[in-house]
Amino acid sequence: MAKTSQAILTLAGIDKTYDGAARPALDRISFTVAPGEFFSILGPSGSGKTTLLRMIAGFERPDVGRVLMDGADITDVPPFRRDVRTVFQSYALFPHMSVLENVAYPLRMAGARKAERLAKARDCLALVSMGDFAARLPHQLSGGQRQRVALARAIVCRPRVLLLDEPLGALDLRLRQQMQHMLVSLQRELGIAFVYVTHDQGEALSMSDRVAVMSEGRIAQLGTPREIYFDPASEFVAQFVGRSNLLPIEAAPHEGSLTALLGGRALKGVAVPRSGPARMAIRFECVRLAEAGHPPGEACAIEGVVEDVLFLGNALEVNVRCGDHNIIAAVPTLGGEGYLPGRPVRVMFDPGQATVFHG
Amino acid sequence: MADIASDMSLSAARPVRFHRISVLGWPVYAWFIALVLVPNLLLIGTSFLRTSNGFIVFDPSFASYMRLWKSASFQFLLGKTLATSFGAAALGCLIAYPMAYYAARVVQKNRSVLVLLVIIPLWISLLMRVFAWRMILGQNGILNSALVGSGLLDQPSEAFLYTGFSVLLTYTYISIPFCFIAIFTALEKIPHALIEASQDSGASAWQTFRHVVWPLSRPSVAIGFSLAFLMTVGDYVTPSMVGGIDGTMIGMVIASQFGIANNWPYGAAIAVCLMVSVGLILALVLWAGQTRGVLTGDEGARPPVASHRLTSGQRLLRAGGRVLFALPYLFLYAPLAIMVLMSFNDSSVQAFPLSGATLRWYAELAGNQPMLAAVRRSLMVGFAVVLVSGVAATGFAFALHYGRVRRARFFEFALAIPVAIPGVVLGIVMVLATQLAQIPSGVGRIVIGQASFVMPVMLMIILARLRRLDGALLEASMDSGANHWQSFVHVLFPSIRGAIIGGALLGFTLSADDVMVTLFLAGTSPTLPIWVWNQMRFGFTPSVNAIFTLVGVGSLLAILVCNRLIFHAQARGRGGEA
Repeated sequence: MAKTSQAILTLAGIDKTYDGAARPALDRISFTVAPGEFFSILGPSGSGKTTLLRMIAGFERPDVGRVLMDGADITDVPPFRRDVRTVFQSYALFPHMSVLENVAYPLRMAGARKAERLAKARDCLALVSMGDFAARLPHQLSGGQRQRVALARAIVCRPRVLLLDEPLGALDLRLRQQMQHMLVSLQRELGIAFVYVTHDQGEALSMSDRVAVMSEGRIAQLGTPREIYFDPASEFVAQFVGRSNLLPIEAAPHEGSLTALLGGRALKGVAVPRSGPARMAIRFECVRLAEAGHPPGEACAIEGVVEDVLFLGNALEVNVRCGDHNIIAAVPTLGGEGYLPGRPVRVMFDPGQATVFHG
Repeated sequence: MADIASDMSLSAARPVRFHRISVLGWPVYAWFIALVLVPNLLLIGTSFLRTSNGFIVFDPSFASYMRLWKSASFQFLLGKTLATSFGAAALGCLIAYPMAYYAARVVQKNRSVLVLLVIIPLWISLLMRVFAWRMILGQNGILNSALVGSGLLDQPSEAFLYTGFSVLLTYTYISIPFCFIAIFTALEKIPHALIEASQDSGASAWQTFRHVVWPLSRPSVAIGFSLAFLMTVGDYVTPSMVGGIDGTMIGMVIASQFGIANNWPYGAAIAVCLMVSVGLILALVLWAGQTRGVLTGDEGARPPVASHRLTSGQRLLRAGGRVLFALPYLFLYAPLAIMVLMSFNDSSVQAFPLSGATLRWYAELAGNQPMLAAVRRSLMVGFAVVLVSGVAATGFAFALHYGRVRRARFFEFALAIPVAIPGVVLGIVMVLATQLAQIPSGVGRIVIGQASFVMPVMLMIILARLRRLDGALLEASMDSGANHWQSFVHVLFPSIRGAIIGGALLGFTLSADDVMVTLFLAGTSPTLPIWVWNQMRFGFTPSVNAIFTLVGVGSLLAILVCNRLIFHAQARGRGGEA
């Protein structure tokens, strides 16, 4: 993790409880963002991620804790004096101003001369490939175009931190993927630190340098996308990021060592920290399927029967009934044609790819 | 939507559509011709006739206009009327804007109560409010008694009442609620994200107001201004009650041409001049108020969460804001409070100090047969007007909304013309129309005259509701196997019932309160406001206070019931959506 001295943005021990709310919106939140970093805050709705973003922007104040920028305390600095810009979820383009005027607005507020600010705004629009739309009014644009104008308005002053509040939430899938590429290359080009709030794990994983997963006002895990994906710190993270089977197991001594038992059957090699009931997470794509009776080798193997199959284009999701449990395997479409409902199969996975959570 | 549908009917399915249009659209065309087009043409026609020995001569001439062209006093009076109304509307906006801003964007709790409190005076008899000002400003009035009593003046001053100033003051008083409603609605609609986006871009509070809030609310300021301007510019009641000679306004001159002076062509010519100049001014105001763009973010104002601790300076500022916010309310309610107080005062002199409590003014009313007859007539007229307007407005709203009328946009606008005609002009327009149709003065005439402006108001309310409805509702109903009529009974009518009831109550209040139009039509069968108006001209007794207090309480009850019904309907609607 970046040290505080190099950090552009530091949140230290932030607590926030709204009037009349039973539980805190934010609970002891601390993290730092390095200059030029793409930092994502990922969480389900109601987990406090937007509140956190509004606190960095200055629209909310913490009950406890400080917000530091470049080492200077900005907790009590009003939003219009912070070197932080926001791309709003609703875009919040001023409906009575043209695209160009919208983008030039922050420069105008900073007191830039007209010629200068219009030139800069034009450059910035070109950067998001909206140069041809400068004279339009916001209601004459499509959702994706508005999104890019909102982005241009936020970066026109070259802030050192850019906050993005679910900026792709209202766009359709194809546009969302295009915009992801644009955001990443733009961030590289400008060297601005992005703090990106989303509930879409795909967005968070694909674009970020680091991700903070939030749950009920707390940070559940903070790490690189790989760490979050392959080494989830809690059951919540395992379930929220990626797609996992979650199986109830019993950790008990078996043949001399502590072993995981699924429905009484031993799963050799799965690491269990202590005895007692627990849950084991295994990702869909880490589950393999083979003919019934196929030699397991080092892998754990469970017999089952195919219950149903979903066709996802590049992959199949095969739902296999194994005794009392269902295990879903994601297998490539090519070579998976034979998995039809009713067919007996052998479910296999590497014990190293399973994670066990107690409690 | 209606436009698209009617355009399509021309190209694709013309024969079928045309058949439907001719059936359901007919009443709309008929209403427009009978109550809007013909009456106004009559007015213009009359203005080109002339009189001889008190009789109208059917001899087209420009005599009336020539007379007006040469009359410096007319031009002065027209100018003064327009200036006074303009000034009052401007003052009204100036006072209402900060109020509306405070109510829409600062206050967090009980916002609807604060709004209702501003609207209530609007729904309490205009006569009552103007009469209250007369009591405050008059020579024996409360202001003078207070000034003399405190030793500031040696003797009562005549400077307050019967001057141009007293008219301006009362007009401003009348204007505030109209300006407030329009501005409040606009400010409440501005998404909070826009304000935050402006702050985020580095704008200070003042810059945010100047570049974002003001441009977005400007069109509504123009609308509020226009409404207030229209309300006062054709008002002949206020100037004749508080204006005196110095406060004479053009409405009084028009009214007298159709009354004592009995020169209809001349009166009609003045009315046409007034209408044209009002139209020009309003067009100018609305043009100046327009703003580009369309508000698309419809999330509305999220109340700013101010949970952080305030410094003592901020607390002081906030307390100051509250006091300033309360002041206009005092201005709105003081006259009404004084009137209620005087209705219980045991003295025929309406001045402080009070002499003691009594109910004798109320007791006097109970034995007053002509007044009771007027009350009965008012109720009858009100019900008839609401019934006629309600049925027409509901039918017209459906016909317009579902594209059964050609040029729906035009007819929607055209049907609303009577609302945009200054009161005095509408009064004489309806006199001319009913005279032509040989309807005798009395209840019948009053109902027709009032329906001409109550119907458009109800129509606007119902249309607005219809447009907010999910367009798929009707389709879903027909898809479920219901025919047009069943869909109307089971789906559409229940979803707009709240709007119809709300509109009906508003229409009833408008009808029961009207003086400007009704006075021309009533003849010898006055409604309550007309009866009171006649009483006041022969000198007044404190029992007038008692009538108005009762009317005020009645209107209040009606508003409460109406509000209950609307809120109830909204709550149910929300429950249904969730």
